[in-house]
Amino acid sequence: MSFGDFVQRLIPTDLFTGMGVTGGYLFRKKETIQYPEKRMTPKDRFRGMFGYDIERCIDCHLCAKACPIDIIFITDHTEVEMVGEKKKKKKIIDRYDIDVKRCMFCGLCEEACPTEPKAIWLTTLTYEGTVYERNEGLYFDKERLADWEGVKAFPGVVLPIDGQDPASPMKKLEVAPASGDEAVGEGAS
Amino acid sequence: MSDPIMVYIGIPLIKGIVVLGVLLLTVAYLTFAERKFLGYMQVRLGPNRVGPKGWLQPIADGLKLFTKEDLIPGRAERFVFMLAPILLFAPAILVWAVIPFGESFTIGGVEIQPFLADINIGILFVLAVSTIGVYGIILAGWASNNKFSLMGGLRSAAQMISYEVPMGFAVASVLLMAGTLSLVGIVDAQRDYGLWFIFPGILGFGIFFVCGVAETNRNPFDLPEAEAELVAGFHTEYSGMKFAFFYLAEYANMLVVSSLAVILFFGGWLRPFPNVEFLAFLDLVPPFLWYAGKVLAFIFVFIWFRGTFPRYRFDQLMQIGWKWLLPLSLANVMLVALGVLLLKG
Repeated sequence: MSFGDFVQRLIPTDLFTGMGVTGGYLFRKKETIQYPEKRMTPKDRFRGMFGYDIERCIDCHLCAKACPIDIIFITDHTEVEMVGEKKKKKKIIDRYDIDVKRCMFCGLCEEACPTEPKAIWLTTLTYEGTVYERNEGLYFDKERLADWEGVKAFPGVVLPIDGQDPASPMKKLEVAPASGDEAVGEGAS
Repeated sequence: MSDPIMVYIGIPLIKGIVVLGVLLLTVAYLTFAERKFLGYMQVRLGPNRVGPKGWLQPIADGLKLFTKEDLIPGRAERFVFMLAPILLFAPAILVWAVIPFGESFTIGGVEIQPFLADINIGILFVLAVSTIGVYGIILAGWASNNKFSLMGGLRSAAQMISYEVPMGFAVASVLLMAGTLSLVGIVDAQRDYGLWFIFPGILGFGIFFVCGVAETNRNPFDLPEAEAELVAGFHTEYSGMKFAFFYLAEYANMLVVSSLAVILFFGGWLRPFPNVEFLAFLDLVPPFLWYAGKVLAFIFVFIWFRGTFPRYRFDQLMQIGWKWLLPLSLANVMLVALGVLLLKG
């Protein structure tokens, strides 16, 4: 051990360097966000609570097929309607259930949805779906999906029942539904 | 007011109550300060929910610990298990009997000395009494009937013995300079000398402070309660009020070590350069505030250490104690003795 090393070990200057670092952090701006009062706005592509619009849904079951863990459950029946002279078959959605407690938010259902805009989407910015009992509380049927009962919407987000725009959930969707589909919509809801 | 009952019982009683009250309140708020400062050093906010800005947090903590269930493990040695927290806490409080806070002053014609007792072996008393606290830790570790606790107690024993020796030598260097064991006398000696003892005794101070950190089981020498290895070390099995005693004792010991460092090396309640007339305006600050400010600065350094340094390994701890601090402290005593001999003749 040379004399320099000896002095170095006698006066541990690196300890003071370390204390300088932590002392500097003392005056930094704090990273904490005081959650219930302040919330971080999620990014645009953040996948949160499901948005579902039964008006746009064409009952193609593609989302249920795309789901890797089969948590989307759809049943339907066909009704025959007379439109003028012709018989017309209509599919009516009886149940559209999502077991959100098992969802891993992969977004494949949204990707599979063929309608434009999407009938099921996850970019709702909303994540406060905490419940005390997960089996009942996180099981969403089509009525709950429409009005988000039990879910606290992120401030500023439009509820799906009011016509949330999947592309930007803070806005209402401008496009009016086509007139011919009104009967389907009424029959379903 | 010269009534002997008042002089011999009344005033000491009042002083004792004041010292105890201020001490316990300070200790309670030190826990808050520690959590707050640690939080700030980790770029978070620390406790801020109870009361305005979190200032009622210590009270909430105290209430919680008071009302908690007091568990005693089934096979623990009941009597020793209950004795150990008292054995650790009582010396930490008892030491304050001899620690002076300021100069004597007069209220209503009665001279009041801001300390409970100025005994002529003050520093010896402090060292002797504070060492009893080690028994609390060892017995707590043994009586818990838990391997983690036992390891913590054993480590504590080895650590205390290792670091008591260089600490004693570091104190001895101050005693050589001051020529008295009385804590008031040491501060007066610094006034007569015209300098705080830190300037001639910087090496001694370094050794004293490192040993003090080790004696109080604080980071980076917190091996007796090393969280990562020993769960909580000697107080693993303790809960409720008994745990609170350990906690309070740790902070009270921090205060004792800080106070000793201030009295021995930083001139107690004296302002910087106590004999320089040019700095006389500093006397506007009352002596007690000088003392308290210095002590709190040391407490902050304790917390700063905890926010910065990782824990030493046990062999490193022993190595620092025996291979570095002990020879250094011996050399320091010799140097100081030589200096005193040459300067004072």
